Amino acid sequence: MKDERTLGEVLLAKGVSRRGFMKYCSATASLLALPPAMVPRIASALESARRPSVIWLSFQECTGCTESLTRSSSPTLEGLIFDSISLDYHHTLQAASGDAAEAARHAAMEENRGEYLVLVDGSIPLGNPGYSTIAGISNVDMLKETVADAAAVISVGSCAAFGGIPGANPNPTGAVAVNELVKDMPVVNLPGCPPIPTVITAVLAQFLTFGQLPDLDHYGRPRAFFGQTIHDRCYRRPFYEQGRFAETFDDEGARLGWCLYKLGCRGPITYNACATVKWNQGTSFPIESGHPCLGCSEPGFWDEGGFYQPISTARIGGGTALGTAVAAGAAIGAAAAAMSRRRQAKTIKEG
Amino acid sequence: MELLDFARGPALQFGLYAFVIGTVWRLLGILLLAAKPDHSAPRKRGGILAALKVISSRSVTAREFRQDTLYASVLGYVLHIGLFVIVFLFVPHILFFKGLIGLEWPGLPNNVIYFVGVITAGVGVALLLRRMTHPVLKLISNFDDYFSWVVTMAPIITGLIIPIRFGIRYETLLAIHILSIAVLLTWLPFGKLAHAFLVFFSRGTTGMVLERRGAKT
Amino acid sequence: MSATHPFGAGPRGNIDPILNEVMHALDRLLTDNESTAIDLSSLPFGPGEIEELEEQLGIGEIKAELDALGKSLIRETIYPGVWWLEHRNTDGETAGRYIEITRVPEILKAQDADIGAGLKQLNRRLEPVGDAAVT
Repeated sequence: MKDERTLGEVLLAKGVSRRGFMKYCSATASLLALPPAMVPRIASALESARRPSVIWLSFQECTGCTESLTRSSSPTLEGLIFDSISLDYHHTLQAASGDAAEAARHAAMEENRGEYLVLVDGSIPLGNPGYSTIAGISNVDMLKETVADAAAVISVGSCAAFGGIPGANPNPTGAVAVNELVKDMPVVNLPGCPPIPTVITAVLAQFLTFGQLPDLDHYGRPRAFFGQTIHDRCYRRPFYEQGRFAETFDDEGARLGWCLYKLGCRGPITYNACATVKWNQGTSFPIESGHPCLGCSEPGFWDEGGFYQPISTARIGGGTALGTAVAAGAAIGAAAAAMSRRRQAKTIKEG
Repeated sequence: MELLDFARGPALQFGLYAFVIGTVWRLLGILLLAAKPDHSAPRKRGGILAALKVISSRSVTAREFRQDTLYASVLGYVLHIGLFVIVFLFVPHILFFKGLIGLEWPGLPNNVIYFVGVITAGVGVALLLRRMTHPVLKLISNFDDYFSWVVTMAPIITGLIIPIRFGIRYETLLAIHILSIAVLLTWLPFGKLAHAFLVFFSRGTTGMVLERRGAKT
Repeated sequence: MSATHPFGAGPRGNIDPILNEVMHALDRLLTDNESTAIDLSSLPFGPGEIEELEEQLGIGEIKAELDALGKSLIRETIYPGVWWLEHRNTDGETAGRYIEITRVPEILKAQDADIGAGLKQLNRRLEPVGDAAVT
């Protein structure tokens, strides 16, 4: 059912004090990477904001994105942002099933025509509609039907944003990203395998607070979170500059926390906020735990060669190909020399 | 990342093949040539030792010319040593070679490489200016000289821009850097840059010929 | 917000720049009465660095605990006017860390909305008595 209450009213009904609300606004400002000076503006905007209706569609995915989000929501602060949306359809989380679930989706679409958000995790198979269906409806049909009257689409995770694992070579299902099918409305990509939960809530918070979607980069990712590389914000960056690298996962360098570039770290070419926002309530991020960045928020990261190959390694065929090149060079060289010899001999003979 | 994928993949592959094919082609093409028959009696038989002697002795300018060529030879040395340092002692480059040939050696800290890179680029510019202003050098320079300069300097300049960034994305700059290397590799065996390997053969041949004639080397 | 300088800061290199920022903010507070807040979650801290920063700022004269949507710890550091704020959620997990350079952190002050609500509540409580109620 359509909820007409403002967020201020919802929070008040939950017995949240003004101080609690201010705390919530500070957390929102942090989430949106806005300076704390913006808190009063956020407070006044949030007070009068209405809860947006959200329809969450899960296609060819592993539910890791939903896990990431639900595990994250600290019950009060970030969780409140999630609470403050009206999640009208999510086939993993909702109680209703079968026809009732589909009816809820249609009702939400009807009541919030032109205003609801569609969140998608998973890629969409185009090879055969039967590869992935929900309630007998193929993924591509459900997506097209649901986004028809949406305000915007948010692709959650690398599968929805770029095709992800299902779309990796040889892409047996013909999986495509959401923005390859949805062209006539804003699509925000929140890639990652899974994406940082905070980033998902932040985009919702921004929509909630300012009624608009964030500024996006050329891959449709919010610049606030995907504007800088992991490498640029990595606390191990100085070791890169000093030339101090871990050579293996268990050597002195690894123990001293040196740069993981030689172990294949994709930090320099990966745009994400892991190094600052971090994971598990700000505990750490992969590099801090001693593992190189896999570049999971970049398109086609599964097909970028071995995860433990340094990024400056050429992605070319092995020694056989070079051997062939040597042989080819030798053949041409020998032929050229033979021709010259013949010319030479002729010249000498003709004297 | 598409441009980077192209650069690291097909473009670099093309460059490497062109480099290998071209180098082997040119070397064999020259080495398999018939030597001009020399019917005179040799004064000395130096063989390979005579060749090695000239390869090393000609690395230092003869005393008579030292004063006149000081500027160019010092700059030339700095350029070549600088190139060696940045190509072979920068850790990401070492990893590139490791991926290619399986060998690895210690590198230098990045800041040292950046410093050497700037010096090398500066020297490159100074040498270009000399070529463009020197009355004789200007006359004997052709397209090959200028193009070889461009393809040699491009990887240095693009490599130096990567850490500075100028607001351009890292992977774009890296892709451009790799593309410039692909161009360099493709051109190297066929233009004057082939001196990188031919210099040893030409000096060696000179050494052997001069030794045979009993000339001072 | 100060970013890590690509070639400068070491793995423990965030502390001095932040302390410098705090120093300039304190100066502004004294001369222009301008408050500053630094959101620590936006900075790339290495392991143990936040704890070291906290230690460097030390514990001053005032310590307060707020209980709204989980606990919040508000504490003046050894530098008067520099406050360490830590918001926790109801599970006790840290939800945000800030350094505020101000005379009294805004969140400590009673807010008009809460004062109003409290006034109403008190009013209702006193209603049966009759005359004492403020309207």
